[in-house]
Amino acid sequence: MIRIDNLHMHYRTERGEVHAVRGVSVNVLPGQFYTLLGPSGCGKTSTLRCVAGLEVPNEGEIFIGDELVFSSSKKISIPPYKRDIGMVFQSYAIWPHMTVFENVAFPLREMRRRFSKKEIHEKVLKALAMVQLNDLGDRPAPFLSGGQQQRLALARALVKEPAVLLLDEPLSNLDAKLREETRVEMRELVKRLGITTLYVTHDQLEALTMSDVVAVMSEGRIVQEGSPIEIYQIPRERFVANFIGMANFMEGKVKAVASDGKRSGQVETSSGVLACRIPEGLSVGEKVVIVIRPEDVSLVNSSSASEENVLPAKVKAVIFMGDTLECTVTIGEQQLRMKLHPSSGVKEGSTVHFQIPSQYCRVLQA
Amino acid sequence: MWHHVLFVLVFFLVITPLGFLVLGSFSTASLPTDFSLATMGVVNYVKVYTDPGTYELLNNTLIYVGGSITFGISLSIVLAWLVERTNVPCKILIYSGILTTIAMPGMLQSMAWVLLFSPRIGFVNSVLKGIFNLEQPPINIYSIGGMISIEALRLVPTAFLMLVPLMRSMDPALEEAALVSGASPASTTRKITLRLLAPGLVAVMIYQAISVLEGFEIPGILGLPAGIYVFSTKIYSIVHSATFPPPYGQANALAMAYVAIALITTYFYLRMISRTERYMIVTGKGYRPRLIDLGRWRYPALALGFLYLFFSVILPFAVLVFASFLPYLQTPSMESLKTMTLKNYRMLAEFDDLMLALKNTVIMVVVTATATVILSFFISLVVVRSKFWGRKILDQLAFLPHPLPGMVMALAFVWLFLKLDFLPLYGTIWSICIAFTVSFIAYGTRAMNAAIIQIHKELEEAAYISGARPWRTMLKIFVPLLMPALAGVWLWVILHAVRFAGTPLMLAEGAKNQVLAILIWNMWDWGHIGGVAAIGTLMIIALLMLTLGVRLFGFNRRQEIQVGG
Repeated sequence: MIRIDNLHMHYRTERGEVHAVRGVSVNVLPGQFYTLLGPSGCGKTSTLRCVAGLEVPNEGEIFIGDELVFSSSKKISIPPYKRDIGMVFQSYAIWPHMTVFENVAFPLREMRRRFSKKEIHEKVLKALAMVQLNDLGDRPAPFLSGGQQQRLALARALVKEPAVLLLDEPLSNLDAKLREETRVEMRELVKRLGITTLYVTHDQLEALTMSDVVAVMSEGRIVQEGSPIEIYQIPRERFVANFIGMANFMEGKVKAVASDGKRSGQVETSSGVLACRIPEGLSVGEKVVIVIRPEDVSLVNSSSASEENVLPAKVKAVIFMGDTLECTVTIGEQQLRMKLHPSSGVKEGSTVHFQIPSQYCRVLQA
Repeated sequence: MWHHVLFVLVFFLVITPLGFLVLGSFSTASLPTDFSLATMGVVNYVKVYTDPGTYELLNNTLIYVGGSITFGISLSIVLAWLVERTNVPCKILIYSGILTTIAMPGMLQSMAWVLLFSPRIGFVNSVLKGIFNLEQPPINIYSIGGMISIEALRLVPTAFLMLVPLMRSMDPALEEAALVSGASPASTTRKITLRLLAPGLVAVMIYQAISVLEGFEIPGILGLPAGIYVFSTKIYSIVHSATFPPPYGQANALAMAYVAIALITTYFYLRMISRTERYMIVTGKGYRPRLIDLGRWRYPALALGFLYLFFSVILPFAVLVFASFLPYLQTPSMESLKTMTLKNYRMLAEFDDLMLALKNTVIMVVVTATATVILSFFISLVVVRSKFWGRKILDQLAFLPHPLPGMVMALAFVWLFLKLDFLPLYGTIWSICIAFTVSFIAYGTRAMNAAIIQIHKELEEAAYISGARPWRTMLKIFVPLLMPALAGVWLWVILHAVRFAGTPLMLAEGAKNQVLAILIWNMWDWGHIGGVAAIGTLMIIALLMLTLGVRLFGFNRRQEIQVGG
């Protein structure tokens, strides 16, 4: 439904030229919820604004549906007001000189097709009902709360039933509690409508909970694309592992790879040898990084020291977080962060044994 | 594409007259129409700058500007300090009283003061002569002292409006810190308060100096009859001299000195402003500065405030009203009250010239204000919002006329319209409209830039996404959101275009192109004082209502600073 091919965008600032988007290619299937995730300055918002037509890229092609809306080679650049899109802005961009009703009616009044007064009325009320703002139609837009403004912006983006919905960090201006509720509501709404959605955020939790597909971006490129589970569990680069969730990194060398199909093997680190699954393409002697999620570690008895991947560690710090105990431990020279159940009763300064199951030791090329 | 059209238009409007001003100063042809590059020389410069009269002129101007600034700013500081930092009673009354003085055009104020202090007809003079049995009238308003006094009073409201925020924004903690450190209140005022105010104060002084330098009406009414010239009146009298053809080239050569002075002072003004921002005594926190208890000086301070209001509005307005009801000029007395009549007002109703001038004035100010608003809106839109390559140049072009006095701009346009004789513009009210518009877009674009920056870019983008084309976005989003600024600039321009006499006097020719300011000027020349007083009375009332209008349109402080002047 949205296809971006080899998109490049430069823009000029006072400090020189910035190459904001460097060869991004994206294919969003109809009805999919697709998220561009990355830190600020990674090019995600620029990519979205190129799809909206608010920025003109320097190179590449963009399709919305079957329509080619931008092509550098064919010199096509359709302006935003002729694209079949709806968009929610980070600031919501609610027009303060109009009522709630007028804000939502505006896109309908600007459409080439002329709607009757009655049709506009019906469509606006339907859109407002969709976001539970039905009673507020006559209210001047500035008299809405932040959450209501956000929903109004969504109603305005959806009212003309566009092919594609673009969302530019729509939750970042809400307070934490409201953000959590809205995440679920918003996903349910767009899924119910079946509208293709391109979502931009720097919040990993939003990306993981809402999306069908997440593309992690860094420095103008897509680093990894996949379902939320893939992105979290099988990061292909250190950046992705680090950006999404908490991660420990242990550096080492491949010591052995079994020749069976499972590619089980061993990695030698400064804290000992760990049994891991070695991905294709890595052979003995290569430098690697092992990614270990804090929640994948479990506390074991010292008697089970002979089992796989059990390591002795000294507890340096314990922070009580309510639902977990966050511990910083040292294994040899390596410092790791672990999440344990509060009942485990680990004390600062004590020595304990951890087990890291081999399937949770993800090996990346260093 | 319209970006380019706009750019060419603004470039033509600003650069061509200035080009003619510079080229004309080198022209040896006797008429601007005969101007050609073959007849260039420095004759005009030699004539003007070897004339000892020019140095007397410089000297007069210096005394006039320096004197007005010294008295005017001192008075403004005292008034702003009283209203902002002390517990003087009736603050609101003083504050709004000072603002109403903006409605008093300099020309009418000077005329009122002539009625009071002229050696021949001044009421005060004849009263004083009677009381003290004097041979000679004690006060002569037709003097540099008279000019300085009126100009000083006239610049108070704008200076006051610029000083009030300066005093208001000062964090009292800065002064309290000095007091806690052991400084006495007097030395805190001297070492902390005044030091912190200094950069802002200097900026206000330079701004006011430029405005005094360009003022024409006061030196025109009070200086010209006595042969005391300052820059603006000298240029006017060269162009209107009895010799034919007038030595236009010499006016230009003189104007170049004026341009140089204005550009240098503006440069320092802009530097001063950026320094003020560096001092950053504005912290944006909401607080009321500590008020100083005046003790038993509260009522004398209030009296000073009222004395100012009495001299700058009440007395001149009362004199004009009084004179407007007199059949002929007489000193106020019981007998004169008995002769009061509506004759002057009745005469106005049958005065065809006035009706024509009124019609011309309305057309002229409405066209000027509308053109200024539209042009400023589009310029600012390009400057603030577009990625047009020439947007910075466009911004500077629009600002360029700002430091140039109206009289110099008018002279430049005289050349342009005489040269473009295939266009029927010279001498018409349309020529006034064009010259005023070019002068006012500097203010207009400053106000619009500030207003457009406040509109979040996403409000505009949301309209595009909703399917609105650029012109629909302009109409449906920008215009309604900018309404206060658009209306504010419109009223500001009307308020100023209606009162400036210099530009119309330079550009308009003939009875059918008269505007109100010219008519008042000419009637005053003919000695028709009753008529002038009647028109003046009505005009001040109308301006007062307009001034109120400007304030009702919710102007923010930044814009308020520049109302009047």
